Amino acid sequence: MLRQYEALLLAVPEITGDETKNLETQLDKAVKASSGSTISFERWGKYKLAYEVNKSGYGVFFLMRFETPQSTQLINDMKTLLKVKLNNVVMRDMISVLDPKQPLTYQRPRSLEEAPTREAEGFSRDNKTTGFFAADDIDVDSDEE
Amino acid sequence: MTKKIKLKISARLVKKRGRRGNGNRSKMCRFCSDKEQVHSINYKNSTFLKGFLTERGKILPSRISGACARHQRVISQEIRKSRVMALLPYSGPAF
Repeated sequence: MLRQYEALLLAVPEITGDETKNLETQLDKAVKASSGSTISFERWGKYKLAYEVNKSGYGVFFLMRFETPQSTQLINDMKTLLKVKLNNVVMRDMISVLDPKQPLTYQRPRSLEEAPTREAEGFSRDNKTTGFFAADDIDVDSDEE
Repeated sequence: MTKKIKLKISARLVKKRGRRGNGNRSKMCRFCSDKEQVHSINYKNSTFLKGFLTERGKILPSRISGACARHQRVISQEIRKSRVMALLPYSGPAF
């Protein structure tokens, strides 16, 4: 029976492009060995974690979806692969069955890379301030003197 | 001579009716009434699940979250999954 699965991986924040490619090919190879196929492999981006994992407060998430007829063997293989061979890259992993009724679209939290960044100068220009004090505050101080 | 205006209903009764009105609010689970929303309960969707946590990171009881027993179970299961992946906290920030 062909079943769809989903693996969410939490990788170390300093993961390089080569390591990402290596991770993808190794997992893809394992899926193909069990005569299955990968549906998608995507990078969520860098996130601030809710608590420290392996002494780092940040992590990079990857979501992989695949389908396979020989599920038990593949899942065991994948778990050993992630926990032994790719141990220095992947910190946490979660493999779950995809509900066939559920749509494949999903919402995910916004990553740090997508969050809007504002420059300090732009902020002071918008609020008409100079430095750390508001313009009105400076006037009040000079009057008292 | 001013006539005293008689109240049709006594103040006590008005109060009582008000109270009864509050209690009659329908207590339908929001996930039972909207099947689309059930799909947003997922361990990956931590922004949605954050609404079912207290400030200290505890799971809100169904009494407050308003979910029925079946959906409350789904919510708490997904929150616990999400905690493993460090998307949600086990406990909130210390005071």
